[in-house]
Amino acid sequence: MSAVRKAVVVGTLRKSQMKEQLEKGKRLDGRDLLQQRKLSIETGVIEKASGSARVRLGDTEIVAGAKVEMGRPFPDTPDQGLLIVTAEVLPIASAYAEPGPPNEEAIELARVSDRGIRESEMLDFSKLVIKKGEHVYSVFVDVAVLNDDGGLFDAASYAIVSALSTAKRPNATLAEDGSLTVLDETSDLEVKTLPVATTFAKIDGKIVFDPNTEEQSMMDARLTLVTDSEGKFVAGQKGGSGVFTFEEIRELARTSAERGIEIRKAIRDTIENGSQKT
Amino acid sequence: MTTTLLNADKIRLDGRKLDELRPVKIDVGVIKNADGSALIEFGKNKIIAAVYGPKEVHPRHLTKPDRAIVKCRYHMTPFSTDTRKNPSFSRREIEISKVIRQALEPAIILEDYPRSSIEVYMEVLQSDGGSRCAALSAASVALADAGINMRDLVAGCAAGKIGGEIVLDIDDTEDKEGEADMPTAIMPSLGLVTLFQLDGKLSESEFQKTFEFAIKGCMKVYQIQREALMNKYFGQSEPMQESTE
Amino acid sequence: MSSVKRKYVVPGDVVAEGDFRPVAHVTQHGNKFISTRVGMAEVGQEGVRVIPLSGPYIPRVDDLVIGQIVDYSAFAWDVDINSPFFGVLPAQSVFGREYSPADESLSSKFAIGDHLTCKIMSFDRTRDPLVTVSGPGLGKVEKGEIVKISPTKVPRLIGKKGLMIKSIETATNTRLAIGQNGIVVTLGPSAGVEMVRRAIRLIEEEAHLADLGSKVQALFTASESATN
Repeated sequence: MSAVRKAVVVGTLRKSQMKEQLEKGKRLDGRDLLQQRKLSIETGVIEKASGSARVRLGDTEIVAGAKVEMGRPFPDTPDQGLLIVTAEVLPIASAYAEPGPPNEEAIELARVSDRGIRESEMLDFSKLVIKKGEHVYSVFVDVAVLNDDGGLFDAASYAIVSALSTAKRPNATLAEDGSLTVLDETSDLEVKTLPVATTFAKIDGKIVFDPNTEEQSMMDARLTLVTDSEGKFVAGQKGGSGVFTFEEIRELARTSAERGIEIRKAIRDTIENGSQKT
Repeated sequence: MTTTLLNADKIRLDGRKLDELRPVKIDVGVIKNADGSALIEFGKNKIIAAVYGPKEVHPRHLTKPDRAIVKCRYHMTPFSTDTRKNPSFSRREIEISKVIRQALEPAIILEDYPRSSIEVYMEVLQSDGGSRCAALSAASVALADAGINMRDLVAGCAAGKIGGEIVLDIDDTEDKEGEADMPTAIMPSLGLVTLFQLDGKLSESEFQKTFEFAIKGCMKVYQIQREALMNKYFGQSEPMQESTE
Repeated sequence: MSSVKRKYVVPGDVVAEGDFRPVAHVTQHGNKFISTRVGMAEVGQEGVRVIPLSGPYIPRVDDLVIGQIVDYSAFAWDVDINSPFFGVLPAQSVFGREYSPADESLSSKFAIGDHLTCKIMSFDRTRDPLVTVSGPGLGKVEKGEIVKISPTKVPRLIGKKGLMIKSIETATNTRLAIGQNGIVVTLGPSAGVEMVRRAIRLIEEEAHLADLGSKVQALFTASESATN
């Protein structure tokens, strides 16, 4: 039996090769610095979910399932529906993933995904109310990472947006006595905008878009920026123990806005046609 | 929105101008048992940061042979919020502990303390908006107080958007009712960003302006951090200039 | 003597710009030297350095330190030397090369809680520091009181050519053993030991200031006139 490894070990040779490639404006997998891996999205992959999507971003594979159920509002927001986002890197996703409660990486993934949905006002929670203070819709978004080759923030955001955009909510009627009947018929869960994440990694002073696991293990720092359909920034998160210069942040904002446009187009095509490969 | 966050003269609810920081006060060395500590009062935030270490690593297998590891815990006391906070560790606290750790690590010269751990605890006694930036600013001062080798201090401050205007340093009410919040931390002398988060909605030009505001806020916090350390260690004294005693 | 420029600094402060040699507690960025600690920066002919005012004791070979036994195994004692790293005192260095755990027990020599005056034999980044108690003045501390000072301020307590320590000893009628790790063993009448505590507190608070010697003297004179 081989020893247990705690994280990906990147060889010195690979690192120096990467450095060489970066100098030439290329990466070890042949991509240009700002080139995204092949992205494919399929919706409606889980019949029992209200909405679902499977995203493949290179070798990363993620399924997001949305469930819309009846719930009770929080006391401080009686006129708002609920949103709960969780994320799990399943033990099958890599040799380094472990069963058990979500670790800080998975929690960060869930919370950044949550911010993208919430802050973009993608869902109008005031419309997800059946009776103020009593009955509202609860939107659960659960992200399962099936195979982890990096770029989880981005892939999860595409999966979530695709799942929610195709999700249905059950209709319900409220009787005179206040009792709630959930009907078989459903309506679309209307989404107002498509927030998409773009993640950049800084390796040897160079910025690359959509880092894979190997690149992530070489990076000093990463920056995720989420933009909505109007090109507005709705979420951001720096990660890693390295740093960015002021100018790098400014420049990445510009790049993120540009890349968001292309990605949203791919997602829109998927929503309309059922599946999409780019 | 029920509250008007800005009046006609663009003055905020608490009387601040758009680019004005809340009152910030830092006391160094407030926890006797700790190797380094600081209390920060940042608006209504009251946060104590304490540093223990460098010390031996527990559990042992986490030891790094060539550098120190940093453990960070940002924790809110149950009485720190308007409605009582559940004392168990929340997902929010886990995330904030992580981003603060990664905001401090670039500043600590970890290679100087191989096989050891540096523990940073931040206890929020009372919370207001911007508690993560306040907490890490206090933690950075506590690290300096502990005499741990650092490349620079780390100063944090958020900027954001309320009532359609870009503003510096969002408080609790503005955070709940406002449009965007951008917590940022920098190493001021080196001009590098070590923490960056955003939630809210900003156009690209607003993004750029908010970022500028955040950096300016960090520089103001940095001045207060420096003064606090100078005051603790040197008081009003002047350095002696004769070369022998 | 060449002039030395001094100023107070905190981490991140630019200590000096120009063509200098970095000596201690500064990082170099091009021709800029930045402090890594709170302390007093000195820029002189030999280079740029910061004398820190706080911080842990980092062992150096040949340092005299005072430690406390906190644990032992069959082969070595663990000595708390007020540092991120525990001192290791191997049984062989006390019992001799023929030491065998089957015949002798470490607890017969030193017990947990004992204080030892020891010397750092070897220390590098990969191993805990090895200490020894063989040598003149080394070994178990049989009596005295332990007083602590910040390790970074030990040089001020000792003073130039040991002048400070001598003046304290004379004035308080005590004997001091000072470990580089900030642990001080004080031997003498209890009134004297109390005066030593006060002198050390003063040095702790004013280590960055000039005329420390005369201030400590003033402390002793004041207390003398108070008791008389």
